[in-house]
Amino acid sequence: MSEFTRSGGIYSLELSIDEAHILINLVEQLLELLGEGDFSHHYDESDPFAQLMAQLKAAPDEIAPPEDPVLLRLLPNAYADPEAAADFRRYTEPTLRGRKKRTLTQVREALAVIVDEDRGGVVEDLEGEIWLMAINDLRLALSVRLEINPESFDLFETLSDEDPQKPIYAVYFWLGWLQESLLNLLAGG
Amino acid sequence: MAIDTVTESDLDISQLVDKPWVTIVWDDPVNLMSYVTYVFVKLFGFTQEHAHELMMQVHNEGRTAVTTGSREEMERDVQRLHEHGLWATLQRDDKI
Repeated sequence: MSEFTRSGGIYSLELSIDEAHILINLVEQLLELLGEGDFSHHYDESDPFAQLMAQLKAAPDEIAPPEDPVLLRLLPNAYADPEAAADFRRYTEPTLRGRKKRTLTQVREALAVIVDEDRGGVVEDLEGEIWLMAINDLRLALSVRLEINPESFDLFETLSDEDPQKPIYAVYFWLGWLQESLLNLLAGG
Repeated sequence: MAIDTVTESDLDISQLVDKPWVTIVWDDPVNLMSYVTYVFVKLFGFTQEHAHELMMQVHNEGRTAVTTGSREEMERDVQRLHEHGLWATLQRDDKI
């Protein structure tokens, strides 16, 4: 299984073609959900992940709390009080949205280098901090769709291989493992 | 000692001064414990030990206050935590 590596301060990630496709698809779907649609996609609409993520489309400049639970998790309320939360959102949400889109766009561009040649390979000289945040946002997005809770891993292990949810759980736990491997390198100094 | 006597007008003035606010981080079943600790160190410059202790409080108690300061400072902290995917809110520090 792939993991992040570091050599002389340079971070890399070797991915199989399947892994690279899964990652770029998820990144593109999350970008779209955040209101960034200005790129050519690496997935088609029959992709099960596309259907999973694109159940609701967000309005790009929404001020009310997002109706999509994934967006509400990525762009949460800062105050318990709805009025204070709405004020805060009005002034800060575009910035937060923009930062998340930039982070995901950087990861998308790095992945596209290998995906566009239709091969697996090494994503070289990647920005560890950027990938850490992007993978975390992907995990958060999937967790909302899968309704992740502390018992989810036990549930995943009991799912039959025919269960349509199983591969999505597998990707979710794979991303956690991938993130942990990157954290070990970043926190290791 | 007169100098230590708190008068009613002193209390009124303290109400006008910007009361401290706190940034609260809430537990969630997704963010890795190691990631939460890492983010606390990165954003707030905490020692590894302090960051770990705060992460454990979030994990065990469901929430904890991570920073204290003016409302504007706490809004900035909350936004940076949101950028990193942590679930954070701010509120007046009721304990003061």
